[in-house]
Amino acid sequence: MADSASLQQDLSRAALGDRAAFERVYRATSAHLFGVALRILNRRDLAEDALQEAFVNVWHNAGSYQAAASQPMTWLIAIVRNKALDYLRAAQRHAADSLDEVDEDGSTIEVADERPNPMQLLMQATDGLRIRGCMEKLDASHRQSLALAYYHGLSHSEVAEQMRAPLGSVKAWVRRGLERLKKCLEAAG
Amino acid sequence: MNYDQPELLDKLAAEYVLGTLRGRARRRFEQVLSTHQAAQSAVQAWEDRLGRLASSVAPVKPPDRVWAAIDAKLRPTPRASAKKRAGWLDWLKPVAGFAFGAVLTVGLVLNDPSRFVSVDEVAQSKQALPQSYVGLLVNEAGEPTLLASSTRQGRRLTVKFLRPVDAGGKVLQLWALPKEGAPFPVGVVTPAKPPASTTLELRDTSEKLFSNVPRLAVSFEDAPAAPGTLPSGSFVLAGHCVKLW
Repeated sequence: MADSASLQQDLSRAALGDRAAFERVYRATSAHLFGVALRILNRRDLAEDALQEAFVNVWHNAGSYQAAASQPMTWLIAIVRNKALDYLRAAQRHAADSLDEVDEDGSTIEVADERPNPMQLLMQATDGLRIRGCMEKLDASHRQSLALAYYHGLSHSEVAEQMRAPLGSVKAWVRRGLERLKKCLEAAG
Repeated sequence: MNYDQPELLDKLAAEYVLGTLRGRARRRFEQVLSTHQAAQSAVQAWEDRLGRLASSVAPVKPPDRVWAAIDAKLRPTPRASAKKRAGWLDWLKPVAGFAFGAVLTVGLVLNDPSRFVSVDEVAQSKQALPQSYVGLLVNEAGEPTLLASSTRQGRRLTVKFLRPVDAGGKVLQLWALPKEGAPFPVGVVTPAKPPASTTLELRDTSEKLFSNVPRLAVSFEDAPAAPGTLPSGSFVLAGHCVKLW
């Protein structure tokens, strides 16, 4: 992956309409960002569409990237995750509609989920980072609900279903998990 | 909902970034985000905090068709766009951002012409500046950089440097961006140290060249652009071209 400084430079050139610089941004970051979209969507075709739309947005909004405010990769990840979440919701709505039509006996279609375990991803991500200590301080249920929401783009009710826990508890876990994470990170400086 | 409560805002921002803020609540928050500075900062802070979690996701190389599709959406290839006018609109998009600085400074020129033209010249013309085409090109930061001017029937364009331009050994190629059709090369601007001016010879009168040209732009090229060719890369300077009469 390209270093932050050259990514920043290429993004500001892209804002001026420099296509070569924009292509460099794509080459340097697309594999990582495609991985992120794929984790959330778990479908290659949708992840490809989401990545494509996200990068078209990046091209048109490169001028709004503020180097002083955030790392280029953080900015790109946010754009791709948002786009992937949009696609996930659209796909779920679509699936719900077609289930209404086709699935009269009420049985649900199980799709094999071959994605790595989100808890594993969480621990890998925090390896060697100060966020690790903060994650470890969270209750296991808080940690797991954050990981499911972040990596798989699950909603509160989907997290509840997966963890076989009441919706109200999951909402509280997510909220407290985020609060504690923030406090801990702030304390760690 | 009261979005001015920092704590509430922070909670919404956190769940927005995590992705658990859904449905109408998410749409509403996105609207708030577009105008609310504090909401933007809160979201940015959460993107920083949670963004590092993405680092453990294994990279997967997307197939080549993804880039091909992106590339096709940005703008058509130069050859195709020379035939298709709409293509140039996309191409000019980055230039639109320059507009504000240009309008502002053209206003300055009109209100106080002595800033750019010698006092004698103004005195001679008594009330008005000679009929001229004037272009003000700004850089990516919107800073006025070049002032191009030429009398209406003149065949010489004066380019005043308001700010240094570092072309890195390349030539400063000036382009005219007509209302319709592809950009055409005007000439190469000889670099000068601000506030000096340089001139370039035009192949026709300003009137003939610029009467349908609302914008000018500069790209860096390895060699002067031949007639009929297109910029090799992006514009580094751009701005409006206006009639001073």
